[in-house]
Amino acid sequence: MKRITIDPITRLEGHGRIEIFLDDSGAVENCYFQIPELRGFEKFCEGRPAEEVPQIVSRICGV
Amino acid sequence: MSKLKLASYWAAACGGCDVAILDINEKIIDLANVADIVFWPLAVDFKYADVEAYADGYIDVCLFHGAIRNSEGEHIAKLLRQKSKVLVAFGSCAIAGGIPGLANFKRRDDILDRVYIQSDSTQNPERVFPVTRYQVLEGELELPEFYKEVKCLADVVDVDYFMPGCPPTATQVWAVIQVIASGNLPPKGAFVGCSNKTMCDECEREKTEKKVKKFYRPHEIMVDPKKCLLEQGLTCMGPVTRAGCGNQCTSANLPCRGCYGPVDGVIDQGAKYISALASVVDADTPEEADRIISEIVDPAGTFYRYGLPGSLLRRAK
Repeated sequence: MKRITIDPITRLEGHGRIEIFLDDSGAVENCYFQIPELRGFEKFCEGRPAEEVPQIVSRICGV
Repeated sequence: MSKLKLASYWAAACGGCDVAILDINEKIIDLANVADIVFWPLAVDFKYADVEAYADGYIDVCLFHGAIRNSEGEHIAKLLRQKSKVLVAFGSCAIAGGIPGLANFKRRDDILDRVYIQSDSTQNPERVFPVTRYQVLEGELELPEFYKEVKCLADVVDVDYFMPGCPPTATQVWAVIQVIASGNLPPKGAFVGCSNKTMCDECEREKTEKKVKKFYRPHEIMVDPKKCLLEQGLTCMGPVTRAGCGNQCTSANLPCRGCYGPVDGVIDQGAKYISALASVVDADTPEEADRIISEIVDPAGTFYRYGLPGSLLRRAK
């Protein structure tokens, strides 16, 4: 079984990797998309004043 | 002279620093005259394998954005350090943790639980969490290790220069690129694309004697557009923040949140700000001082908004 790794995927915001597995004939057996990045805005915005949140979450994606 | 080989990379970042580079607009053509891009995931399709194949020191200048959040960030930081003659910590995240560094107020397991179990858009009854190694029918998949805490770039590799801002302004980006292209590099460890004065030094708002009787949230007052924001009772970080952004927030009646970090010689921006506040609070009794200070909402998350991992505190316990 052959394995093709596309790492990183590019020209977008964020981190991603694609793993493609080919069978013996060269056809795609399976494909996995992975996101190796987590920052945790869901959690660290807790406790911040509501009026500050727009400035914080604008850093989820600056693109 | 041959063209510079330039790389730009993001670890735990938002891409805003990359866009700040693109914001030099038509000067990007001039950039192409002096530099070849050899790695830049936002804009160009090079892979990690390409970087691994470069000789050590092949890259002349690497602009590294983002904090070190997981093992991949650390691995790529070390790879790019090895392949780069000059490594620049570019932006608040790489220098001091930035906004992703706010995660150091939280525990690792609480972050994972909030994201993968509690979030409203998630259905995960089997409580599946990311693992570093996962066996699928076809082989093994890997994910980076999510660290206990956010680190700064300089915590994991040797850094040559620091360029602050969230993001650094486009005019400063262009100025620094010109300096790099000229070959007249500043001394190692220098902060570039900024001033060593404070925001207050460059702020044109009227300043008188600071006597704060009450701290306000923005919706609680009508802000006078001419007067010092701190004197009006807004927690503006200008007194302890490095200038260089062009006072963008204060020009829009928003208090500075400190993204350019402290000036040279100050090791903890938040502590410096607490010291500054102590000198402006106008209290006649200790009880009144307590009341005034206690009206500041989320002091830790405000005073360490962009730099908790790079501060003396580093993280909440």
